[in-house]
Amino acid sequence: MSVAQEQVSGPAAFKRRGRFRPGDAVLYVVTLLAAVTSVVLLTLITREVLADAWPAMDKFGLKFLTTQAWDQNKELFGARSFIFGTVVTSFGALILATPISIAIALFLTELAPRWIRSVVGPLVELLAAVPTVVLGLWGILILGPFIVSTLAPALHGALGFLPIFGPPPPVGSSMFAAILILTIMMVPIISSLCRELFLGVPSELKDGALALGATRWEMVRGVVFPYARAGIAAAMILGLGRAIGEAIAVTQVIGASVAINTSLFEPGDTLASRIAGQYQGADTALQVSSLVYLAVILLVFSLVTNIIAQIVVRRVAGRHRV
Amino acid sequence: MRAFATRRKRFFGGISVLLVAASAVAALSVSVAQARSSAGELKGAGATFPAPLIAVWQQRYEAAKDVKITYNPIGSGGGITAITNKTVDFGASDAPLTPDQFNACNGCVQLPWVLSATSIMYNIPGAPNNLRITGAILADIYLGKIKNWNDPRIQRINRGFTMPDRAITPVYRSDSSGTTYNYTSYLNTASREWKSRVGKGTTVNWPAGVGARGSSGVSGVISRTEGALGYADVAYALKNKLKFFSVQNRAGNFARPGLVGIRAAAQADRKFSPTNELSIVNPPPGKRFRKAYPICTYSYVLLRIQSQQAALLKPFVTWALTSGQAFGPALVFQPVPKYVVERGKTTLRRVHP
Amino acid sequence: MSADSNTSQIFRTERIGRRKLVNHLVEAAATVSALLAVAVLVIVIGSVAKRGAGAISWDFLTKTPVIDTGFGEPQPSGIANAIIGTAIIVGIAVLLALPVGVLTAIYLNELAPKRVSAVLSLALDVLNGIPAIVIGIFVFVFLVVGHGQSGLKAGFALSILMLPMVARATQEVLALVPNSLREASLALGAAKWRTTLSVVLPQAVGGIVTGATLATARVAGETAPLLFTSSLVSDEINTNPNEALESIPMFIFKSAEQADPALHEQAWGAALVLIAFILITSLLARAFAARSRRRILGER
Repeated sequence: MSVAQEQVSGPAAFKRRGRFRPGDAVLYVVTLLAAVTSVVLLTLITREVLADAWPAMDKFGLKFLTTQAWDQNKELFGARSFIFGTVVTSFGALILATPISIAIALFLTELAPRWIRSVVGPLVELLAAVPTVVLGLWGILILGPFIVSTLAPALHGALGFLPIFGPPPPVGSSMFAAILILTIMMVPIISSLCRELFLGVPSELKDGALALGATRWEMVRGVVFPYARAGIAAAMILGLGRAIGEAIAVTQVIGASVAINTSLFEPGDTLASRIAGQYQGADTALQVSSLVYLAVILLVFSLVTNIIAQIVVRRVAGRHRV
Repeated sequence: MRAFATRRKRFFGGISVLLVAASAVAALSVSVAQARSSAGELKGAGATFPAPLIAVWQQRYEAAKDVKITYNPIGSGGGITAITNKTVDFGASDAPLTPDQFNACNGCVQLPWVLSATSIMYNIPGAPNNLRITGAILADIYLGKIKNWNDPRIQRINRGFTMPDRAITPVYRSDSSGTTYNYTSYLNTASREWKSRVGKGTTVNWPAGVGARGSSGVSGVISRTEGALGYADVAYALKNKLKFFSVQNRAGNFARPGLVGIRAAAQADRKFSPTNELSIVNPPPGKRFRKAYPICTYSYVLLRIQSQQAALLKPFVTWALTSGQAFGPALVFQPVPKYVVERGKTTLRRVHP
Repeated sequence: MSADSNTSQIFRTERIGRRKLVNHLVEAAATVSALLAVAVLVIVIGSVAKRGAGAISWDFLTKTPVIDTGFGEPQPSGIANAIIGTAIIVGIAVLLALPVGVLTAIYLNELAPKRVSAVLSLALDVLNGIPAIVIGIFVFVFLVVGHGQSGLKAGFALSILMLPMVARATQEVLALVPNSLREASLALGAAKWRTTLSVVLPQAVGGIVTGATLATARVAGETAPLLFTSSLVSDEINTNPNEALESIPMFIFKSAEQADPALHEQAWGAALVLIAFILITSLLARAFAARSRRRILGER
């Protein structure tokens, strides 16, 4: 990545002229210590989180993942509802966000005249800058009532045969609200990444297809998509990782229920959101430990998605460097 | 070469500005960091149940004694955690501490300082206030067995009003709540099925309904949702202008959560447990409890025996137990009986810096 | 190339009508999607602006919260303690993350052997991917349990979030600095450390400031770490970082759940203040970035 490294790197950096420069050694040590901080932090985080989850992990073992319960009195805790909630909300948001994001990226790279591009582009990125707590506030006070009054009855009326669109709920807190909020969060991330990908497609390829008589859509489908396929996948995975870890906006709109329902209009809970919602009132050691166990599961989920995304990104970068 | 010099100047200039700005913030905080929490301030956290009265106490006590009280209504569970973790000077909980929690707290005491009732609020458009309900019906609603307001069991005891054909949305506290503890303790006495299936606690596995955080969250959901039903301290019902039920007591009468009903219920337990616990839920039948409201509770203040703020805490809690009670009735907090005040003062003597 | 496999289909001009229709439909869908995104953005920001504007006043920005108890005169209520608390906590985060992030990037870009650099880069990326709530729980169990909350611990938690952002932004800017500058400086006999500090870094300062500003804007809106480290707060203005300090995101979070419409209005106002701050800093940072990038690439 850095061209400078080819010239002077590592300990060789200050042994070049044979003369020992103490300043170089100082710089090396200081920056090395700084760089090592991230590794130290990672180790600390992993160790502390595992250590505090250990009592719950010891007591429940892997059955924790398949138990659907969160009962302080019976001292029974399980992650099943929240794993379900995390998967449903994140993938639900991904399904909604991906086509919209790709369409926006296409609009900005292929369709829009320059002046629209310079306006709409920053606007979409602005959506990424909205703090999640503000999105959650908007979700509670505006989106929730809108779902109850308009959106849910409409969806139930039109698509009620699908079990996911059950009877309209009396309150706005639901998995559906969480999915919508997460979609709004994901779209700027995925669309800005896709936009860069589409801009990176060599114009000779695109022009060639157009010269052969392809319509713009056929050119996109035949040239841009195959070229950017891996990058789009990486963008989707990165967006997914973000949604999995979102705690605040989700806990504000999801309704904090342990039940597993087929209808999206029912309340639910995710791993991150349960941690945020419950930690303050967790007064038994086992409950705190179970919450940290949830954090461990969440950590595994987000690490896995992050690593997969990194692998895809690096493979894409490698292929395109040729 | 000159470009080099100007760039260096600009670089050092830029870095200096950043560092000066950051140092200014640091210096400001360090200079104030010398003093610990200012001499006249007490920090508390806990139950939302007594929060309306504590809010009045905050204003009145500061006006009288120039001591600032701040209170974070995060739920009884939060209060217990906060005093255990030493992040506050006093905690508040409607649910008395369990032996395990006393152990974890390691040197805490509790004493009752507030007395009121948990109202069952409802949002039925067009309905009169104080419709009637029983504990058994409430248990079945929250068990998910009664789903509609026009269920014959509800209609039968409310002959003066035609119950609408509308789904019931039960609302519960999603956070760790002493009000939940009070309400579920009551449901335990009213329904055997509730006792075996769900039980009592600051959080339970609610078979039906939607969750909301805090008493004000519950009131908020109920006021926004037609057909909703939920429980919170009666002060919240009054504040949000919500209607609430008359609940049947063991004597067979339907009692309202007012000062009369609370006063009658308080007589149900005058004997303190070793940890100052008093349980007045669902008083027994009998002449004394004819008018008792069955879902009343004391709320407790949680203190550390050894506290840096003892010099400020003791006068405040004493004031709350005595002068502070006078502000209660307007918010339907019944002034605590004399024996509670005496017990509180005795317990306070154990608190020292 | 997959374009080849499609060319035989593309040649069939007798289907041109249908192909043009499909093309138009897709273009329409793309346009609608973009407009939908803009519409949602306008609705969200618009709601905040409309409902928050009513709450903003000089009192709102300079007074502390007052609970309405129904007794006595209604007093003006504000978020001054939250604004100051956020400034202090974010200030601490910047103080911690900026030096470490810049030094890390210098090491990775200028001094490290390639394999070490790759490993440490990966560590930074992994750190970046950890959700804020997990960072919050980490700081909670590591520092807060048994010891209490404080603004310092909140700032520390936020700095963990900031560190990868600052490091990555600095890395990118350092990579932009042309190698000829480094070589020239070394050829003239300057030590490596001299070269880095006096030649490379000044070129990169613009980008570093931009990256740090953007990271600060991002982190100023984070709520999850504050939930664990600075949530039990007083209503007074508090500048002591050893105690829990109120912050704008926490204020919004707490007020949003209440039933009181007056608190909702305050929450909107606080949201407007937060968004305005993030917007202005982001715009300034980007403008500064464009200018400094032009300068680096222009001079060669």
